Formats: sequence, C-alpha cells, structure tokens
Amino acid sequence: MTNTSGSLHLKSLSKRYGAFTAVDTIDLHIQKGEFLTLLGPSGSGKTTLLMMMAGFQDITSGDILLDGASIAHTPAEKRNFGMVFQGYALFPHMTVQDNIAYPLSVRHRPKAEIDARVAEMLDLVRLTGFAKRMPKELSGGQQQRVALARALCFAPPVLLLDEPLGALDKKLRIEVQAQLKDIHRTVGTTFIYVTHDQEEALSMSDRIVIMQNGRIEQVGTPSDLYQHPKTTFAASFLGKSNFLHRDGAVFALRPEKIDLDPEGKGKGANKVTGTVQSVTYFGAVLKYQVEVPGLDLIEVDVDAWRGGQALPAGARVDLTWVDSAAVRLSDQSL
Amino acid sequence: MRLPVNSGWLLVLPFLLLVGGLFLGPILNVLWISVTDPTPGVQNYAQLGSSDTLRRILWTTFRVCVICTAFSVILGYSIAYAMVHATGPAQSRMLGLLLVSFWISVLVRTFSWLMLLGRNGVVNSTLDALGIISAPIPFMRNELGVLIGMVHYMVPYAVLPIFAAMQSIDGRVVQASRSLGATGAQTFWRVYLPLTKPGVVAASLVVFIINLGFYVIPAVLGGGKVLMVAEYISVQVLITLQWGTAAMLAAILLFGVLALMFVMSRFMKLSTVFGGART
Amino acid sequence: MHDKNFMRETLLQGAQAFQAGKLQRRSFLALCGMAGFASASVLAGRAEAAAGEIVMWNWGGQSEECHQSAIGAAFTKDTGVPLKFDTSGPLQGKIKEMVDSGNVTADVCDADLFDAVALGKTGHLEALDYSVIDKTKTIDGYALEFGISIILYGYAFMYDTQAYPDGPPTSWADFFDTAKFPGTRSLYKWANGSLEAALMADGVAADQLYPLDIDRALKRITAIKADTIYWGSGSEAHDMIVNGEVSMGMVWQNRGRSIETETNGRYKLVMNQALAMPGAYIVPKGNPGGADVMKFIATAQSVPAQLDLFACLGMTPTNPEAIAQMAEADQPYSITSAANMPNIALNDPTWWGENTDAAVNAFLAAIS
Repeated sequence: MTNTSGSLHLKSLSKRYGAFTAVDTIDLHIQKGEFLTLLGPSGSGKTTLLMMMAGFQDITSGDILLDGASIAHTPAEKRNFGMVFQGYALFPHMTVQDNIAYPLSVRHRPKAEIDARVAEMLDLVRLTGFAKRMPKELSGGQQQRVALARALCFAPPVLLLDEPLGALDKKLRIEVQAQLKDIHRTVGTTFIYVTHDQEEALSMSDRIVIMQNGRIEQVGTPSDLYQHPKTTFAASFLGKSNFLHRDGAVFALRPEKIDLDPEGKGKGANKVTGTVQSVTYFGAVLKYQVEVPGLDLIEVDVDAWRGGQALPAGARVDLTWVDSAAVRLSDQSL
Repeated sequence: MRLPVNSGWLLVLPFLLLVGGLFLGPILNVLWISVTDPTPGVQNYAQLGSSDTLRRILWTTFRVCVICTAFSVILGYSIAYAMVHATGPAQSRMLGLLLVSFWISVLVRTFSWLMLLGRNGVVNSTLDALGIISAPIPFMRNELGVLIGMVHYMVPYAVLPIFAAMQSIDGRVVQASRSLGATGAQTFWRVYLPLTKPGVVAASLVVFIINLGFYVIPAVLGGGKVLMVAEYISVQVLITLQWGTAAMLAAILLFGVLALMFVMSRFMKLSTVFGGART
Repeated sequence: MHDKNFMRETLLQGAQAFQAGKLQRRSFLALCGMAGFASASVLAGRAEAAAGEIVMWNWGGQSEECHQSAIGAAFTKDTGVPLKFDTSGPLQGKIKEMVDSGNVTADVCDADLFDAVALGKTGHLEALDYSVIDKTKTIDGYALEFGISIILYGYAFMYDTQAYPDGPPTSWADFFDTAKFPGTRSLYKWANGSLEAALMADGVAADQLYPLDIDRALKRITAIKADTIYWGSGSEAHDMIVNGEVSMGMVWQNRGRSIETETNGRYKLVMNQALAMPGAYIVPKGNPGGADVMKFIATAQSVPAQLDLFACLGMTPTNPEAIAQMAEADQPYSITSAANMPNIALNDPTWWGENTDAAVNAFLAAIS
C-alpha cells in the first residue's frame, strides 16, 4: 500500500463566521510525502484550516485540490484522509485491534487482509501484543500510537494531525516526536501537522507554515524560518529574538548570535555596551539579560562550557555580532 | 474511642432508618400478606399454575410493557438526538417542552387521546370527511389505544437518560469515525449507538418498570379489555378483597423487576447505566 | 390521585434539579423508579375525624354539596354536630384497611348495601341502632343489621335514536342482540348489573335472578364481546355515550336524565328491566363520632332529605312516603316509582355480599 498521490493545493481558501474571518485567503502547495506543520498561537486559524482540509468545516470560498482534483465538496468520509485528533478520539468500546481495523472493516475488506494489516500497523507503532487491550487500559503515549495506527491503517494519501502530542508530558513528547518522524519516513504519507509548540515544529517538519489571525505569516523550512524570519511575529514566535531598530527598519537578532565579553574586550562589526541585569544558568547555556542604553533589554545566550565563570549582575559588558546575524524584517520600524 | 464503622454513616443513619421504615416496611408487609392471606401457605402463588386468567393478565402486562418500552425508547432516542444536535436556545425550548409534558395529568392525556383518535375523534372525522375511510379506524378502547397512550406518557422518561448519555459523547469520536471512511449509518451503528447504550439501557429499565405499574391508561384506553396487572391488583384490594392474591401479584412484579436488573447486571455494569463512576 | 400528583411534582422538581446538575442521574432515575411503584399505589389521603363531628366518606364531586345541603344542614340544626367529608370513595378494600389499621377516620360511608353484608360478616362494621333509625322508611328487605339503603340508583341502558330510527331497543334482549341492533355497546366492568342484564336478556325473569347463574350470564356477555367496551366510572360511561363511541350504553340510571338533556334527546334512557341498586349507609367499626351517626342516618331518611337528594343527585328515595310525594315529571326517572316498579329488578345485596369476589373475577377473566 504505497501512495502515488498526496499533493494538496489550497487555493484562496477562506472561512468566515459572519463578520469574523477565521481563515483568510490561504494559498498553499503541499508536496506529496511532505511533513508540513501549521504553527500558530490559539485563534490563528490553524485548526480551522485543518478541519477544512478534513471536510469537517465548510469552506466559505476558495478550493482544495487533491492531486489536481477539487475535493472542496467531498464529504469527510469520502476524502480518505487519515486524521489523528487532539485527545486521540479512540473508540472507547472497542479493543485496540478493533480500533485499528475500523477503517478497513467499514470498507468491507476481507478478514485475513484486515488481520494482516492490523498486525503490520501494531508493529509499525510498536504495540504488538496490545491488540486485545481496551483504550482505557493504555497509557497516553500508547493511546496516541493506536490513534496513529488507526489513521494510517487504510494507507491514506494524507494524514492530518491536530495537536496529537498536546496531552503528553514533555519527556514523552520528545520520544514520540522521534517515533512520529520515523513513521513518516517509513510510510511516505503526506503529514499535515497542527501545533502551537515551536520546538515540535522545528524538530519534525519539512516545512512550517506560521499562521496568525487566519493568514499565513511565513512559509519555509525550519532553518529557513529560523535564520531568515520575515516579520517580527515570525521571529518571536519561532525561537527568541532581540529586535533592533536601525535606519527606520527592524532587525531580528537571535540571542545565541551575540558575543558577550567584559567591557573593553569585545571585537566585532557591531558593538554596544551595557550592564548585566540578570543571568540564569540552564546547563547548556547561560542566559543573560543585558540593559543597553537606548535599546530594550537584550537577551544573550552564551554556551556555558565556553563562557567560563558567569559574569555577575551589574557587570559592564560589550555585546558584539557580525552583520549577517541581524536579519532585516519587513515590518516598519515604530 | 474508634468507631467500628465509618462515622459518616452516623450522619445518614436517621435517613436510613426512615427509608427502612417507610420503604422496606410496606414491602415486607406485602410479602407477608402474600403468604398469610387468607390462610398461611403458598396457595396464592400456586394460583399462577392453576389460573389461566392470572397467567393471561401477566402475559398481557409483559407484552404491552415490552412493546411500549421499545417504542418509547426508539422515539425517545430520536428526540434526544434532535435535542443534542439543536443549538442552545432551540435545545432549551425542546427541553422545556419535554419537562412541561410531565405536568399534564394522565387523565387529561387519556381524555385528549379519545378526543383525537376516538371513534368520532378529530382524525376519524377528518378521514371520513375526506372519503378515505368508510368506517372509523379503531385506534382507541383496545390494545393499540393503550400502547399509544402509554408510549406518549413514557417518551419523556426515555428521553432524559438517553439525552444525558448523548451529551457525554465526545464529538471527535464521531468525526474520527467519518474521517476513517465510515458512512453516517456505519458511524451510528458501530460508534454512536454503542456509546449511548448505557442511556438506552437506563431508559428501557425506567420505562419498563414504570409501565408495569400503569393503571389509568390501560383501564380507560383499553375499553376494559386490556387488563393489566396493576389494575387487577387494585380490583383485588378494593373490590374483591382478595388481598393475598393482590400481594402475591405485587410480589411477582417486585421479583420480576429485581430479576430483570440481575439479568442486566450480567451483561453490563449497572453503575454505568445509572451514571455511577466509570472505572 | 393525591399520591400520583405528589409523585409527578416530585419528579418534575427532580428533572429540573437533574438538568441543573444538582441531582445526580442515579438519584433521578431512582426517583423515576419509585414513581413507577408508587403509581400502583391505591390508597389516597383522607381527612381527620374527631368526636363531636360526623365525617361522611363519599365519592366527592357533586355528592359533597348535595349531602351537605340535603342532610347535613338539617342534622347540624337538630344536633349541633357538624358534618364533614372525606371524598376519596369508600370502596370495600379501603374500609377494611381503615378498620384493620385501627385508625378509623370516618363515621358513615356512602356505600352499597352488599358492602354491609360483606364487611358486616367480617366484623368491620358497627350494627345499626334501629331504635333511632326507622326500618319502615326504606324498601322491604333493604334494612339490614349493618347497613340500610337510603337511596337507590340503578343500571339501565341508553340508545342512540339516530342509530335505530325504525324501532328502538326496549329490553336487555335487544341490547344483547347485535344482529338486530348492530353497533358498539358499553357495560360496567366490575360485573355488577352487567350479569343481571345478561341473564334478563337470556330470558330469566326479573324476580328469579338470584342466585345468579354466572356462567350463563358470561355466555351472553362474551357473545357480544367484540362489540362491547367496558367502563369503570360514571363519567366514563357518560363520555362513551355523548362522544358517540357506543350506540347503546349501560349507565347508572340516575345519570340518564342529564344525558338526555345534554344530547337534546338524541340518546334515550330505557327504564324497562332496569336493576335497582340499594345505596346504603354503613358505619365503620369504632367510628370516632360515636352514636351521633345513627341520628345522622335517621335524618337522611326524612322526606325532605330524600326529596332534596333526588333533586340534587337524581338518586331515587327509598322512603315510601318520599316516593309518593315526588312530582309527576320526576316519576319516570325514579326507579321505584309506581309506573317503573312492575318492570324493574331489585338487586339482592346478600348474594352480592357473599359472591362479589367470584363474580367480579369471573367477569374480568371473561372480558379481558
């Protein structure tokens, strides 16, 4: 069951509730086999957009094309998209086996085929041996994997994931992220992933779509977006940034791209001098808050092993960076 | 000093005694009468074997109750479904109408049904005037009339537990089913209905048990020919003074209901049915 | 009905609390379950009685004001003892329960004379004091040890004049002949009256009815079962006729006149072969009002009281003197008037007092 399809094209897609526009003229090409993440704060329209792709939300205007053919008016059950829900939405009255078999059994596939495919799926999500359990007998992470197996069982061209890791604790989340990525590589299905967690987006995605107020703020690969944010919102939502206002323009400067030295020791094309207001130890990095006259508080990350002894609050420091470190944003300076 | 039992029980002890006195007392009295009136022994129960009439009355009661329960629950399910899927204000209005129907006395209902579906009722007169029928359709004063009256009375009782069960369903589970390719019908039969089963079972039990005690509706709408056990008990108590027979039949009803609950408990946790903690 | 009203209100409040989330579903369902049991409950609440007053246990509705004006006013004027009412209906089972429980709250019951036979035998009634009550002021044979007939009602039938324009039915034989007189009938469903009517239809003479041949009667009754519906209360019998559900219906004779008036004569009462039923006053054992109740019963026998009761309730007087004083226009509706007397049957309270259980249960078995 390999997919020859799975490319999606969203054309001027909009969703309005009366005067409120939840999704505002979205244009997007999603490649077959891509892992695309919709990233944004709550209310940014990312979940609404996903639900429109799934067929659970009517579209107000625009079109959705799957491999070139419109599916805008195809009912959800005919789209053949897999979907993993927030909270998993497993069928509580069915065993793991029956949950995973569900998409095949509603398609009236022969029992032998179903059993073989369910076994294959259990193996894929590493839950072999759990077939007879009920969902409530599983941990959150296991339930999440059952939901994934169920959604992939019928080899959908596109898998939609709505904050699937939201209910897991941080440690488990990182583990499941890696598994999810593995599974994506194995099955080759197009994954469209909704999250508000930037780390999740950075670590898993081929491309990230940053959304705000129903619009696309910026699209790109994780490193592209991180290195070259185009707006203040993109620069602050994905990673941290200091914002410098120069010559009527705004520049984003990542905290780890600033060198921090005791006053008088700093060497670089761009240099400012300030006073350390606080320093916090994070193991791998030291996070400094530096007060520079005429600028906001500047945040600087210093590799802890390289920085030696932390400078105390009140110390006078030079901050330096190379030209390419400051990225000019499209926003107007205030 | 430590009390041998949780002291919380002491708080409810007066109420337990009250319930014991007011509820268990009369039940025990009924059981006692059933084996002592008119003479000690089990002759009242032996009547079940010897009397065709008693068996027929019990069978009529059972048959009418089962049919009425089935229709009440199916109608109640449809109404609850519409209510769950109605928007806020519409849902409140529907719920209001449902609760208002609890106010309508059973006598008013039976009278209204006779006006509507009686021999010269609105429906028969209209059909006759339109030339659709030549003789009135006998809706009332028979078993059909009893069923119509009872189902109408019981539907609100069926709606509430089913409505509660439907409200507790996570809408994403239904979306999940559709996203996995199930049609509306498949989603209903394989996901929605199983998840509302506790509500359906609760509704069926409540409706069935209340049905067993129906008196006025069968007596009036049945035209005297649909004799159910509650009316028969009443006659034995009030008119023929066969209190032993009456108590025996009451005991049979009681044990019948307990047996029913026992059988149900073999298939599912009754605590789930009645909204207890889900473990 | 009090219990039911209470349960309904409790349930309603429960349903509201349940919706508001104040009552757990389990508790609400338990409440519903209790309502199911409670609706089978048959005992209604009743008024408290005390010495120094007489409580009459009757059937409510009009009978309360009629008994007060016809008997109570004169009785209170003579004795200074007030008359109060419990209107929950003194069925045999309720009287027995009241006396057995030791909490007797009524002094006199507006019952049937056969109740006096049945309950007198089992010790649930006080013997009447015939030094106060006059045996001669009632029909022969209707002054018994434990009860005396004060008024008469009866079973007769009415027919739809439009259904039988060419030759109206005139006897029970016609009533039970669905070939000659097609159409739906109604009968009383607790056997009383229905059995006698069937026997008269089968040719038994009015003065040869007792002891009733139950099997013979039921044969006639089941023969027309498909065309018969059965009523359990006077208002039901009334509705069946005026709503056109039946073309011939058995009624309590005293209600016939008002149905004739109400339907502008479309439905007509047939008094031929009517069965006169002795309505009786009986006194529960240990009644709280004591011996005053005998004076009350004596007052009810007086001519003015008897005539007032007829005017108010349509019940025929039993005092021969009162019957003689009735107006000409009232005579046809008075079951024991000189004109009706040769054509009617008289109920035998002794037979019914001893055979009610067998007769009623056999009847129910046959019609259900």
